[in-house]
Amino acid sequence: MSERAPFLVGYLDNETNQSDLPPSSDVVIIGGGLLGTSLAYYLSKSGVETVLIERDDINREASGTNAGSFHFQIALHQLTPNMSESERRRLADEVRLQVDAASLWDEIEQELDADLGVHFDGGIMVAESDDEMRVLKEKDAIEKEAGLESHILTGDEMRAFAPYLAPDLAGISFCPREGHANSLLVGPTYAYRAWQNGALFRTGCDVTRIERVSGGGNLKGKRFRVITSRGVIECNRVVNATGAWAAELSAQLGLHIPLGLSGLHVNVTEPREYFLKSMIQHIGRRLTLKQTHNNTFIIGGGWPSREEKFPKRYSNTWSSTTGNLAVALRVLPMLADVKLLRTWSGVWAYTKDFKPILGESEKVPGYHIAMVPTGFTLGPMVAQMLSQYMTAAPGKGKLPTEFNIDREVA
Amino acid sequence: MIDSQFDLVVIGGGPAGIAATSTAASFGLKVAIIDERATFGGQIFKRLGEGFAIQSPDDLGKDYARGARLIDELDQPRISKFTSTTVLTIEANQIITSHPVEGVRSFNPKALVIAPGAYDRPVVFPGWTLPGVMTAGAVQTLVKTQQISPGKRIFFAGSGPLALAFSAQLIKYGAPVFKVIESAPFPSPAKLLGLLSSVNGNWDLAGDALRYRSTLLSKRVPFHYGRIIIKAEGSGRVEEVTHARVDRDWNPIPGTEVVESADTLCLGYGFFPSHELFRLLDCNFDYDETRGGFTVAKDHWGLTESSSPIPIYAVGDGTGVTGSYSAEAQGRLAGLHIANHLGSLSTTERDTQSKGFLKELNQRNKFQRAINKMFEVKQGIYQLADANTVICRCESVKAKEIDPVIDSTCDLSVVKSYSRAGMGLCQARNCQRQIAAMIAKRHDRSISEINFQTPRMPVKPVEIGKIADPSIREEKYFIQ
Repeated sequence: MSERAPFLVGYLDNETNQSDLPPSSDVVIIGGGLLGTSLAYYLSKSGVETVLIERDDINREASGTNAGSFHFQIALHQLTPNMSESERRRLADEVRLQVDAASLWDEIEQELDADLGVHFDGGIMVAESDDEMRVLKEKDAIEKEAGLESHILTGDEMRAFAPYLAPDLAGISFCPREGHANSLLVGPTYAYRAWQNGALFRTGCDVTRIERVSGGGNLKGKRFRVITSRGVIECNRVVNATGAWAAELSAQLGLHIPLGLSGLHVNVTEPREYFLKSMIQHIGRRLTLKQTHNNTFIIGGGWPSREEKFPKRYSNTWSSTTGNLAVALRVLPMLADVKLLRTWSGVWAYTKDFKPILGESEKVPGYHIAMVPTGFTLGPMVAQMLSQYMTAAPGKGKLPTEFNIDREVA
Repeated sequence: MIDSQFDLVVIGGGPAGIAATSTAASFGLKVAIIDERATFGGQIFKRLGEGFAIQSPDDLGKDYARGARLIDELDQPRISKFTSTTVLTIEANQIITSHPVEGVRSFNPKALVIAPGAYDRPVVFPGWTLPGVMTAGAVQTLVKTQQISPGKRIFFAGSGPLALAFSAQLIKYGAPVFKVIESAPFPSPAKLLGLLSSVNGNWDLAGDALRYRSTLLSKRVPFHYGRIIIKAEGSGRVEEVTHARVDRDWNPIPGTEVVESADTLCLGYGFFPSHELFRLLDCNFDYDETRGGFTVAKDHWGLTESSSPIPIYAVGDGTGVTGSYSAEAQGRLAGLHIANHLGSLSTTERDTQSKGFLKELNQRNKFQRAINKMFEVKQGIYQLADANTVICRCESVKAKEIDPVIDSTCDLSVVKSYSRAGMGLCQARNCQRQIAAMIAKRHDRSISEINFQTPRMPVKPVEIGKIADPSIREEKYFIQ
């Protein structure tokens, strides 16, 4: 077990957080999740004047309610039966993107000077049946093509490698690069370091309206007026980093962002002596299972939870609890006498093509969106990409065209 | 399995739950009563352990007999009893429970009574996690059912009628309590007068109190008013306790500390209602420190407003601590209202039959209010910890680790996320209020304004193997 963080960094500076909203800023980021806080960090590190506003507290929604897994292996929901060559290429591209993200996670604890529970102890994907084994092998081939190391193990080899797994599984793939971090700490730590860089944070600050200011507002050169529950701020550039709520806010500017929303269920258990270094997933069922460095087990994988309207939080269902736990128990039978302590759920927002929406709108210059379906794994990296775009000389910034925010704008 | 045969399910087998069950069943309703313990009666009617020297059987016999009478009311054909059965969650009208052998059982009745009871108020001060520091309820359980006295030299610190009653009871059972401190001041004449004016209908309780006091006097156990526990020390377990005089707000007065040697520190500062199930059901709450803090909002029948499609009744100490007699009356009233609601009792008959219970309830509550005023818990009780005091004992989180988070949020869930305080096995029952008080102080708010952590199921930890259900399949992605 790793040592506790040498110091617990402060959450935010309350004094500045409580003071009035400044009248203007170059950049206003709306949304204090992982995307917003990491973007605030990278922008402020480059000396860009940044104000982040958040209606609730930092890191409360998907950024803090996900299970903290790095998804580098291809997951079941990305695969389709009898894939064409172009689909295989698309998946390989995605894997490459994830591998890039891994190198950011390699250095994040050093960059932010904090223990964020980052561990690269590998990931296991299990297959129960021969059919699943066939899919696992196909997935493995695509990953290898994309440069992600992975190994297929079956029979005695599998049992020797992971003796804790149910011995009758058809086989596993093992990806040494996979890992996880503590999703509760990453966003707040980015926020704290951004604040130290001079970025300002205002929580409990609800945006009611965004107006475009034609010909400059009260303050020369500003293009937007953001009206909030804590006052009005004008700015040059707005970044919508509101995740599942990105569509609501964009609609005010006439932009249509089609997002799918889905509530995800997560379970956490009492602690047990640490033994499970690698995260476990299932190629045919919904499961992610890991032992945290607080020795608890976090069990999730995409079981549904009930939608609720903000500020009420998505609520958990009994069927997702018992169904999800049964899959976990099938794979790791020794969990039977471990106590379930708590469940929680968060909202997952996704695009039709599961790619990020990242960049500046052509229809509304100065208006940016930062939204990623696999937000925890990719969030900090795409924030860094957007920061580089926003700090480049005018017209010089570049972002991948497939992330274009107008691609889905009707 | 879903058990659909019941008109009413009652959660909790203490006086309130038993009274609601037997009253509703007496009008022909089919009732299931559930308790997580192996026997009914609740904490108050726990059976006595054998082998203790009971010097005055009459005194103990009264409560014991009342408990037995109540428990016997459950022997009716229309009542099904489920012991060792823990409620894990409530979804809409479905009550989901688990039994160590029989596994998961769900009920979907037409009405639900929740009588969850209360648990000992945790008091956080330097040394409160040392072995040998125990709550009065725990000591009572040890003494009554396990025939074990936890120590040879027990110091009792607490407040309210229970401080007196528990310490006297423990002495009667042979547990060696050597001193008792009570944080409230010696009752003023005005308060005594208030008590006297409400004593009608409560002579039994007043008589009990006098008897308890005389027990302490006859055993020459000193009882000091206006003092609070501030520290427990020892290597590996309690060896010394420190207490001090308090001001009006129960803040210790420097220079008045007294150190005593003791091997056990028993704490009886009252109770917190168990309101987890009410929170899951989105009930409304009031705040009343003297009745244990957050209390569920309800009418005099016990009926609440909730997100459930069936009527939810809240009765007993789990809805605000007012004692077992009040709890029993609340249970009877809920039983009558449910019988009427489900068509087994006319409204006229309900109102006639409820008169006596309403009167009893009012008298009991009036007396309780006078007592509560006398022993009102003051905010100083939340100010005893120092920077190095462990606040969350499950996760070993100290005050100084929580402070930086509290600096920038008023949200208990945020504090939990960031510091791990409140994430452990007790599901924040021990530390939540203390952290709320820390937030309230820092942000100059009242503790009642600090919201709960987001309520999440299960409301009690449960083994995965007991509830995992392989028959539930998720939506398929594509593998058939």
